[in-house]
Amino acid sequence: MATKKIGKLKTNDIPYWRLILDVSLPVDLSYIPIGLACGILLNASGFNTINTFLVSILVFSGGAQFMIASLLATSAPMYSIVIMMFFLELRYALLGSSLSKYLHGQSAWFTFFFACSMNDENYALNYLKFSTDKKFAPKDAIKVEHVTLLIWTISNVIGSLIGSAIHIDLTVVHFALTALFLYMIVVQLKNRLLLSISVLAGIVAVIFMAITKSTLGLVISTIIASLTGFAIEASLRKRRPKSRWLKTFKNPGGTPEEDIDE
Amino acid sequence: MEWSSTQHFWLIILCFFVAFGPRFIPLSFFRTRKIPLWFNEWMRYVPVSLFTALVCKDLFIDDNFNISVVGKAPELVAALLVIGIAYWTRSMAISVIAGLVVVFTLAVFI
Repeated sequence: MATKKIGKLKTNDIPYWRLILDVSLPVDLSYIPIGLACGILLNASGFNTINTFLVSILVFSGGAQFMIASLLATSAPMYSIVIMMFFLELRYALLGSSLSKYLHGQSAWFTFFFACSMNDENYALNYLKFSTDKKFAPKDAIKVEHVTLLIWTISNVIGSLIGSAIHIDLTVVHFALTALFLYMIVVQLKNRLLLSISVLAGIVAVIFMAITKSTLGLVISTIIASLTGFAIEASLRKRRPKSRWLKTFKNPGGTPEEDIDE
Repeated sequence: MEWSSTQHFWLIILCFFVAFGPRFIPLSFFRTRKIPLWFNEWMRYVPVSLFTALVCKDLFIDDNFNISVVGKAPELVAALLVIGIAYWTRSMAISVIAGLVVVFTLAVFI
């Protein structure tokens, strides 16, 4: 959706901030309800507004902040929250690595600030833009990150402020995050193999979370499923390059063709 | 145990470091090196796997990490609708807002 608009904007002399806002708009819009929800949850678990502001800027992860809120509610010790956080955030190693090819030649400071404000949602936006738009530069990507960070922090602070005043069904509010991830999965399922890997990841995740009784199951499942996909693709390309499993699905939404890397 | 705001502050600082390490180290390591081809091919499967795992946690795992769908009927129905909406509209904002409306409506009426 946003990509189409940008295509049009480039030919006109629309201000730069509008361009960045357009790229980040889908995430900005979803962050308002999710951020408000997160602020409300953090307030309910005892965080004051200043700490809510700090955690939104320093950690900047919907999943992590929801987790802090729910673990504090069950009075978990500090070390266990930090360990859980580590496993939850470990996935960024994989996301960061997959974006790193677009950041070649950037300074160490740039990489530092880029890493600070990278999360699932702006990663998805930036990855899609980098892979579909040759003109999209790292400095545009970091501005997309900062816009989403700003909207996220404001929404969290407002959520924290109204937290005690309004009663909202928190489990319902939590679904905003699930819906966001579902959207990201759907737009990435480009062939039969990716679809199968997604199903595999789901099954393995559920089994291993039940076994480990922790979010470590998420890390195990991501590693197993992604390596399986990689191995199957490699062997199919070698033996049956025209396999139906690698054929791109027709896309009813008409998203632009991605560049073929390599 | 009731936490003080100072303890919350230290929790945030510790969380910052465990959140920042995994984001910064690989990004920094591969920034100046050529990323091997196999690595990029592998990375093609990482986001899909991770996001599916996260969604399945929300839908099929309860607070005590047992497999359970008890009381998750509104979320499960809404999830199916979100998949359909995302597939046909390709819009993140419409998918999220429609999902919230559906799950809220179902939670009220079921």
